Amino acid sequence: MDNQAAIELLYKMADDDLIIGHRNSEWTGVGPILEEDISFSSMAQDKIGHSWGLYKILHQLGESEPDLVAFTRNAEQFHNCQMVEFPIGEYDFSLIRHFLFDYADYHRFEMLENSSLTGLAQLARKIKGEIKYHILHARTWMKNLGNSTDEAKERLQRSLDTLYPMALGIFEKSPYEDQLISDGVFGGEEALQTRWLDSIMEVLRLTDLNHTLDSAASPLIGGRMGKHTDHLQPLLDEMSEVVRTDPTAEW
Amino acid sequence: MYGGGNVFEPMKVKELADEDPILLKEFQDRIDRGEKIEPTDWMPELYRKQLIRMIEQHAHSEIIGALPEGTWITRAPGFKRKMALMAKVQDEVGHAQLLYSAAETLGKPREAMIDDLINGRSKYSNIFNYPAFTWADSCFISWLVDAGAIVNQLANAKGSYGPYVRALDRICKEESFHLKYGHDCVASLAAGTPSQRKWMQEAIDRWWAPMMMFFGPSDKISVHSEILIKWKVKMASNDAMRQQFLDMYVPKIWELGFTIPDPLLRKNEEEDKWEITEPDWDEFKRVINGDGPCNKERLAVRRIAEERGKWVREAINRKSEKYMVPLA
Amino acid sequence: MESLDPRVNRMNLPSSFDEAMHKEEMDQLATYEVFLVPKEGKPLESVGPVHASEIEMAFVFGKEAYSRRFTCVAMAVCPTSSIFPSPVSEAGQSAYELLTDQAETEGDEQQYEVFHMNKRGKFHKHVGSLMAKGPLDALHQGKEAFPEETPQNVWVIPTSDFHFNSEEDSDLWATLPEKKYRDAIFYKAGDKIQKYKDSVNS
Repeated sequence: MDNQAAIELLYKMADDDLIIGHRNSEWTGVGPILEEDISFSSMAQDKIGHSWGLYKILHQLGESEPDLVAFTRNAEQFHNCQMVEFPIGEYDFSLIRHFLFDYADYHRFEMLENSSLTGLAQLARKIKGEIKYHILHARTWMKNLGNSTDEAKERLQRSLDTLYPMALGIFEKSPYEDQLISDGVFGGEEALQTRWLDSIMEVLRLTDLNHTLDSAASPLIGGRMGKHTDHLQPLLDEMSEVVRTDPTAEW
Repeated sequence: MYGGGNVFEPMKVKELADEDPILLKEFQDRIDRGEKIEPTDWMPELYRKQLIRMIEQHAHSEIIGALPEGTWITRAPGFKRKMALMAKVQDEVGHAQLLYSAAETLGKPREAMIDDLINGRSKYSNIFNYPAFTWADSCFISWLVDAGAIVNQLANAKGSYGPYVRALDRICKEESFHLKYGHDCVASLAAGTPSQRKWMQEAIDRWWAPMMMFFGPSDKISVHSEILIKWKVKMASNDAMRQQFLDMYVPKIWELGFTIPDPLLRKNEEEDKWEITEPDWDEFKRVINGDGPCNKERLAVRRIAEERGKWVREAINRKSEKYMVPLA
Repeated sequence: MESLDPRVNRMNLPSSFDEAMHKEEMDQLATYEVFLVPKEGKPLESVGPVHASEIEMAFVFGKEAYSRRFTCVAMAVCPTSSIFPSPVSEAGQSAYELLTDQAETEGDEQQYEVFHMNKRGKFHKHVGSLMAKGPLDALHQGKEAFPEETPQNVWVIPTSDFHFNSEEDSDLWATLPEKKYRDAIFYKAGDKIQKYKDSVNS
C-alpha cells in the first residue's frame, strides 16, 4: 500500500484536532458557567490528545516526532480545514463549531474503526467513548439553547449560518480519495458528509432553529491543500512561542 | 490554590455569649470527639459566617488562580506540557466548583459569592495578583504555589465542617498531580540550557517574596482566633504553615542549584526553625486592598467572563427547575 | 488594558468599567446531585453537586466535574430536590433511630434508592432499593431492610428521578486509565534532578 494516501489523511485529521483543541483551550478559566468551563476544557484536552495519537501513527510511518511536527511547521504545511482556525468568538460561535466539527469527527472515527490501517483503527476504537461524550455535550447544549430565549436562538442561527459553509470544508476531498476507499483505509469524504448531515439535521430538528441548510452554500475549502486564513499563522506563532526559543531543548 | 492569610479578622455577628449554651456545648463536644459538623446541624452564627468567608475565599482563589497559569495555556511547550497545563488550570476551575458548592451548603448561593468577587467585596489569595512573565513563572506557580496551597489544604482537610472536608479530600488527591507536574517542569529547566536555568532563577527571584506572604502575617493570638482553633475552622497558624513549607521545599530548590533571594534565609538548627527576612506586610496590605500589579486585570477578566456568559445562563435557566441549597 | 496572556488580550478588556455588574438571581441554576461507581463491584456513591438547567445537562456537567480523574464505570444524577434526607445522628447512634414522623400509608408504591452516610464527613453510599408509598415510608422500610447498619444519615430517592448512563455508554470512561498526563506518577522529576547533578559534577 502506498503510504502517501494514509499520510495525507492522518495529517489532516491530526491538524484539525490540534487546532480546534488549541482554540477551545482558550475558554479554560473564562467559560460561561463553571461546570461548562470544566467540560469544554476536557474536550479540548481530548482533541489535543487525539492529534498527539495521530502524529504518533505518522511518526511510525516515517514522519518526524509529534512535538516537532506540531510545534515547528508553518501554516502552509498544515492540512486542517479552515473552520478550526478561526478565533473562538462568542460562546455561540464556539459551540456551533464544536457541534458541527464533532459530529464529523465522531463519524470519521466511526468509519475508521475497521480501517485497513490497523494503528488508526485501534485508535478509533479506543477513543470512541471520548468522542461520544463530545457529541452528547454538543447535542445537549443545542437542545437547551436551541429552544430557549430569542437572543440565544438568534445567536445560534447567526453562527450556524456563518459556520455551515465553513463546515462543508471539512469534507474537501484529497487527491487520494479513490485509493483510500479501494484500499479500505477510509470510506471517503462523501460518505462521511452524508452521515454527518443526517446527524446534524436530526439534532437541529430538536431545536427551533431553521432546519433548511443552504444546499447551495459554497464550501470554504483550501485548508486541506495548505491554504489558510490569516488566523492560522499567528495561532501557530503563539503556540510555539516557548518551543521556538530552543526547539532542541527539553521542557 | 489557597494559602490562608488575612482571613480571620473579627466580624459582626451575634455574640457568642448570646448563643444557646446547651447547643453550644453539644456543638463543641461533637468537635472535640473528632466528629464532623453537617449542614443541618445547629451551629453558632460565628462558625457559619467564618466558614462561608473562608471557603468562599478559597474558591475565589481557585478561579482567580486559574488566570496567572492560564497566561501560558496557549504557549505551553510540547504535547506533554500543553495537555498537563490545560488539565491543571481546569482542575483549579474544578476546585472552585467544589468549594463554592461546599460554601453553598451554609446558605450563600454561588452567584452571590461571584457577585461579591467581581465587585471587589471578597478577597482571594494575594499571590495571584502578580504577573506570570515567562513560562518559568508558570512552572514556579505549578510547583511552589501549589505546594504552599497543599500545606494549607492538608491542614484544613482535618477541619470540622463535613462538606468542606469532603471537597478538600478530593482536591488534595488531584493536587498530587499538580505538585509532581510542577516539580518536573522546574527540574527540566534546571537540567536544561543556560537560558532555561536563567529563566527559572529569575522566576524564583520574582516570586519568592509573594510566596513568603502567601501564608499571611503571623497570627495574633486573640480570643477570636482561639475559638476558631477550638472549632477546628483554623487548623494551623500562618507561621507554622510557612515553616512547614520552608522545611519541605527550600532543600528541594537548593538541590536544583537555584538560589533563594533572601540573604537572611537559614535554618536555625537549635530552634529547629527557619529564619527569613520579614516580608513586606505593607505591600501585602496594599495588594490585598486592590493595589497590586494585576488586581485590576484579574477582576476584569472574571467580570468579562461573567458578562459574556450572561446570555448563556439566562437562556438555559428554567424557572420550573428551582435552585436548592446542596445537601452535603 | 494590556495583559501578558494573549487570550485575555483577545477579550478586549476595557481600561475601566462604567458601572458595577451585578449577577442577577436568574443566574442561579438548579442543583443536582452526582453519584459515581468508581470501580466494578463497588456501590454507587455520592460525589457532590452541580448546577445545571435540566437533568441531561447535569449528567453532561457531572461527568467532567466528578469523573475526569481516577476511575469510573457508571454515573447517575438526580435533582437535589428529589433527595429526602433523614436527620443526622451522633456517633454510635443510627439515623434510623431518630425517625419520628409517621410513614405514609396511602398512595401507590414506587421504587426508592437508599443511600447511607456511615460516618459524618463521609460520602453517601448506595445500599439497596425498596418499594415504598412515600419517602418517609421508604426511610421506615430502610430501617427494617438494613438492620445491621448504623448510618449517621440516610437519603431515599425515587428511582425514576435518576438519570443513568446506559450500559453501552460505559465506554465514556474507557480511556480514563490512559490519561497519564493527569496522573502524578507520570512525572519523574528524579531523572532531571540527576541529570542536573551529573552536569554539575562533570
